[in-house]
Amino acid sequence: METVLAFLTVFTQPQLFLLVGVGTFAGVYVGAIPGLSVTMAVSILISFTFSWDVYPAIALMIGIYMGGVYGGSRTAILLNIPGAPSAIATAMDGYPMAQKGEAGTAIGVTTVMSFIGGFIGIIVLALAAPFVSDFALSFQPRDYMLLAVLGILLVGSLSTGSLVKGIFAGAFGLAIGAVGRDPLTFAERFTFDFRLLEGGISFIAVMIGMFGVSEALMQLQHADKTAVKQKISRIVPSWGTVRRHLPLSLQTSSIGVIIGALPGTGGDIAALMAYDHAKRVTKNPEVPFGQGAIEGLVAPETANNAAVGGAFIPMMTLGIPGDAVTAIMIGALFIHGLNPGPMLMVDQPHMFWFIVGALCVANCFMLLFGLTGIKLFTRIVEMPRAVLIPLIMLLSIVGAYAVNNAITDVYWMLAFGVFGYFMRHYGYPLGPVILGVILSRLLDDNWRRAIISDREDLGRFFGGILHSPLSLVLFVAVILIFVSQTPVWAKAKAMLRKESA
Amino acid sequence: MTTPDPIHHDGSSDALPGGYDARRRPGELVFAILLTVASLALLWNAYGIAGLSKLSSPGAIPMATSAVMVVTALIVTVRTARQPRVADETVARDILPGTVILFVGLLVGYALLLRPLGFLPTSALFLIVGIKVLSRRGWGFTLGTALLSLAVIWLIFRLVFSVLMPAGIVPEAEFVQMLRNLFGGVL
Repeated sequence: METVLAFLTVFTQPQLFLLVGVGTFAGVYVGAIPGLSVTMAVSILISFTFSWDVYPAIALMIGIYMGGVYGGSRTAILLNIPGAPSAIATAMDGYPMAQKGEAGTAIGVTTVMSFIGGFIGIIVLALAAPFVSDFALSFQPRDYMLLAVLGILLVGSLSTGSLVKGIFAGAFGLAIGAVGRDPLTFAERFTFDFRLLEGGISFIAVMIGMFGVSEALMQLQHADKTAVKQKISRIVPSWGTVRRHLPLSLQTSSIGVIIGALPGTGGDIAALMAYDHAKRVTKNPEVPFGQGAIEGLVAPETANNAAVGGAFIPMMTLGIPGDAVTAIMIGALFIHGLNPGPMLMVDQPHMFWFIVGALCVANCFMLLFGLTGIKLFTRIVEMPRAVLIPLIMLLSIVGAYAVNNAITDVYWMLAFGVFGYFMRHYGYPLGPVILGVILSRLLDDNWRRAIISDREDLGRFFGGILHSPLSLVLFVAVILIFVSQTPVWAKAKAMLRKESA
Repeated sequence: MTTPDPIHHDGSSDALPGGYDARRRPGELVFAILLTVASLALLWNAYGIAGLSKLSSPGAIPMATSAVMVVTALIVTVRTARQPRVADETVARDILPGTVILFVGLLVGYALLLRPLGFLPTSALFLIVGIKVLSRRGWGFTLGTALLSLAVIWLIFRLVFSVLMPAGIVPEAEFVQMLRNLFGGVL
């Protein structure tokens, strides 16, 4: 009964309901406007909702998250510019459709499919999280440690970029998280004897710098690109179209949930993987992929919204973020004095069911805003970047300053913004940095707990891993990621292909 | 995995980081070398925390992470050094164009002026210069959009999020009080 009440919180409190709605509305536009991303919006919002209660703050962020993951598809279809990273795959078939005058159909299908994917993600979250959290109570410190390492490695290994750069980024994040006095022994770490560094570096400054300022600086190079207008016809898709693609949407939603639930990897990677899957399983598409195949819209759009629900699973049950946005939300929960992890589900199940409820509401609002307001939409998206970029920068500064009222945080933010700018240019992923910062404490604490309980004996530590099935699975996964980067793996793969051929 | 053409190889997300597969962009090698040197400095600092005394010492994880940084940065440096340069890109045009340097300067200037001058005047200056430079349009458009958007931002922050920014030379508190009186305590 209490579960039901907690789930209904968001429906019974008009203020929260409204905030989810406002958040979703804002999210659709944040996602749609190139240069504004959900990660950016949520990291700036942390500091603005600092003085709020935790429920309204989370309600707003969830709305933005859900709306933003969907919103990117609009610009991908209409302008061939993915408004958000999760819509990269959507542009490949969405834009060709728009060029043929089928923009309305494309937007309609995208919206309905995002809705379906979103709900599948939420259902899996609601069903799986309680089990995972029960299971998580039996996790040993070394399992948490391995999970954190795995999460940081996964982003680099599943993206198209270089794993080595991904590992560097993750280790860099862990190092940033360790700056300051060690909470257990009070020893100074990475402070280089500067008093300024003793308190550590505010993770909000790091996030806003990496995702806000660096993105805005990046956009400066594209400031003068203008948009091409498209005509939009009817957008509510026919039931036949939806039904025909239901089987595919279920498959790609599962891909989305799984990728979302893996620590660290989110909607952008899920969408690309789902697109590949659709290409493999669709034998005879009516229109070839890349030239406006509906399947090419169904797959990434179901997957990226399903990944939202998935990403909350490790966040709520283990305190390990499923993607960059949930990493930032963990930060928000920390600020509000909550400690995500298996104990949160035991102590405050209300929080979990509230989030599930808010996600449901956000998903419905997304459908509503997705199928209406196209005229308003085209106006807002035409907002010139010349105005947008200085505004993002201003918001980033205010966001970094507002948390501690400290100008130092602004300088940190700028430094990380410039550094992130170069990282982007040279192919270093930013997600692992944020993951590292958020997981630094968890990794450090659990390593020390694990090694102390094994009496400082590495042999015993590895023995422990071998004797616990869970630790062994995690450990093997970590090793596999490394092996997959070596020539041995490529050779093995080639041999397997030969045999099957 | 299917990879759509990244716009200008700039790295829009984790799924599609920037850069090229087999070529190095201008400045990439210098960046990699700098990362290696910085990682070595971190490793040295981490060693100084507790040395190699105990596996559970406060320096253990910092040493492990900075060691990983050193190794990966070295691998990246060696790999990058072996790659041919992207022929048609230069640092000044593709990596660090004048506008980017200008905006970093503007941001630093903003941080320096924020306390003494206050939020409203500093932001107004920043937005006016920023929008003027980027849009290359008339003063009417620039001043109009800059001041209007600043007014909206200020109202939202001050009243909805209750964020307090340094008032500086503007008597902000008095003004907010006046607004409150005007609306009869609704806000």
